[in-house]
Amino acid sequence: MHKQKVCTYKVLLHPRRSLIYFDYMKNLDRRNFLKTAAVGAASLALGSRPVKAADKTLSEDRIGILIDTTVCAGCRHCEWACRTAHGLPAGDLESYSDNSVFKYYRRPDNSSLTVVNEFENEKNPMLPVYVKSQCMHCEKPACVSACIVGALTKNEDGSVTWNDDKCIGCRYCMVACQFQVPTYEWHKSIDPHIMKCDLCSERRSKGLLPACVEICPNEALLFGKRSDILKAAKNKIKRKPGTYIDHIYGEHEIGGTTVMYISGKKFDDLKMPQLGTATAPGISEAIQHGIFAYFVPPVTLFALLGTVMWITKFGKSGTAGCTKENEKLQTENKNETSSG
Amino acid sequence: MKKIHFILIPLVFFGFILGKVFTPDTEDKKQISTEFSQDKASQNDAGRFHDNSLLRVTQKLNCKSCHESEYPTKDYPGLLSCPRSDMISVYHSPEEGPEFVKIDEMSDYYNGVEFSHKVHAEMSEMSGGCTGCHHYNTTGPVLNCRKCHESSRSREDVSIPDLKAAYHRQCTNCHKQWSNENGCSNQCHTPKGSDVSLVSSSVKSKTHPVLTLPAKLVWETGAKTNKIVTFFHNEHVEIFGLECKSCHNQESCIKCHTVERNIDPAKLTRRDRSIEEHHKPCANCHMGNSCQKCHRDRELSPFDHSRSGGWVLKSYHSSIACEKCHGTAMPYIRTGHKCISCHKKFSEEFDHKLAGFTFSEGHTGLECKNCHPDGDFTKTPVCTDCHDDKSFPQDLPGTRK
Repeated sequence: MHKQKVCTYKVLLHPRRSLIYFDYMKNLDRRNFLKTAAVGAASLALGSRPVKAADKTLSEDRIGILIDTTVCAGCRHCEWACRTAHGLPAGDLESYSDNSVFKYYRRPDNSSLTVVNEFENEKNPMLPVYVKSQCMHCEKPACVSACIVGALTKNEDGSVTWNDDKCIGCRYCMVACQFQVPTYEWHKSIDPHIMKCDLCSERRSKGLLPACVEICPNEALLFGKRSDILKAAKNKIKRKPGTYIDHIYGEHEIGGTTVMYISGKKFDDLKMPQLGTATAPGISEAIQHGIFAYFVPPVTLFALLGTVMWITKFGKSGTAGCTKENEKLQTENKNETSSG
Repeated sequence: MKKIHFILIPLVFFGFILGKVFTPDTEDKKQISTEFSQDKASQNDAGRFHDNSLLRVTQKLNCKSCHESEYPTKDYPGLLSCPRSDMISVYHSPEEGPEFVKIDEMSDYYNGVEFSHKVHAEMSEMSGGCTGCHHYNTTGPVLNCRKCHESSRSREDVSIPDLKAAYHRQCTNCHKQWSNENGCSNQCHTPKGSDVSLVSSSVKSKTHPVLTLPAKLVWETGAKTNKIVTFFHNEHVEIFGLECKSCHNQESCIKCHTVERNIDPAKLTRRDRSIEEHHKPCANCHMGNSCQKCHRDRELSPFDHSRSGGWVLKSYHSSIACEKCHGTAMPYIRTGHKCISCHKKFSEEFDHKLAGFTFSEGHTGLECKNCHPDGDFTKTPVCTDCHDDKSFPQDLPGTRK
């Protein structure tokens, strides 16, 4: 407890208190989080800015993944690897060759953080197009912006991760995400999680590749630095203009994403949402942060209201009251002098 | 005298200026102008260099064939895209390749994969040849994949796929459906330690069955008039001697191999192709023909030289190749009906048996021009120089063969 107090003290005094505050928040469990909530709120009120979707500077070497839909053969081994890596019931690898799952369009859910869907190839029906979908790890993620407790973090390496200890289960992130990626463990009454791809942060900390990238037999998932990946994608399109359409999905979409796609088919037809280049949290954050920036606008508003109230109370009726009081005082004085 | 000076000085001055303007080009000037025109020519060449790949083959190999920059260094080589495929003129036939290739460079869990090279190579000409799988047609031995494709997935340069991907793509680029048919252990891989061979002995000696070629194909288009298109496949193969690959060169195996798959054949024909793309196999040769050449209101009858060409192919003419007279370029040259248009070099040794007769004794020693005036063999031979009452072809200078 003592240590905690010291920290809070530091937080309050440090010029870069907001950042330190959030670093400090990271190391809290839920209990401590609630305990320090009040102090935290005070420190926020004292001048820390609310966390932005990409407040921290992203690393130059941040991760990029390119999904080449012309190369993917739809083996769904990535689904198996992902489940295994995340401790989800995965079953037998050979059972994944069952292609009846392609009958219906699927989205990532709490049982599978990545799914592969099949689309028709008009040019050659024997070679359908397969599209893997998972969290896009946006450069300016809407989920991070929407989260009221900072349970979702945009990391320096580009990944967007979820923190069990901070999440209060409001599911705002699910509403905010334009790719409808985060899902909720509705079936669990105790400790339900927000489930989404975390770019295998645990595996990567051990120096391994993300599970889906490692298992892909065709290397349809190209993993590397985002800058290198973009270069490779542009090169592919340049070399085979007949194979690919000239568009890297995720290069600019909603301010760019970590996971990007190239395809021979229009992304419209692959059920990829058509999004502009404006970031999702851009407008909402501008409004929100505009209203609450350094608490100046609300304080000004209340100050203004207070002034108006003060003027109305003490300005007009106030003067009348004063004269009455004066009169009272004067009569009292008179009484005193007359009695005296 | 002073007046003369006034006239002379301006005259000399103008003369000097005129001389400067109208002097013939000096050597320097000439050189500059030729250099300039050469520059222009080389620019044009560069333009064609990219457009016409044939030109590259004939070009000599120099630094600029590969390097874009004037002074390439090791760090900044300024490389152009490799013109290898245009420069190599040696082409291997599919038969030269091995029957089977065993791929076991990276098998930790599985036995090596046996790839039936021969069966794949046999029909490869129809789908782009060796380069459909190999990067290029090489003059030397085929490079090992491992030479360029790294075995590690986490690597610096991700622009080249790793070895695992390179191998798998070779198969799944065409056999995509294997991933849904448990292809790993059904088609290629057997678990390490097991001695089950997926390639049965019957497959080992298998070759592609001989293709049955269609004789005539008739299509009915959706047009209101001239909706019948007839194509004589047999004539193109047998009479015009076209090779399969001259028309069928970018085809997919699935054009025929759809039997086992549950694919509606109607779907396969429904390909969104532009009009140019659709007509390309025919238009490659029949560029100058009108639409009515193929699109008629009834079926066409087979090729007949007497009908199309105007004269019957008799005797040895019927057995010679078309290009002997009509050249190799398409469309064929119309030669006309005269012997001289093909037989340009008649000499004294010309055997008149070919004209249908043998000379009588009195005619054997004569010179050509005695009967063929001015050496023009296209004109009717003249008999009246010697004989008053004879004329060709009623009378012959010998006996009919």
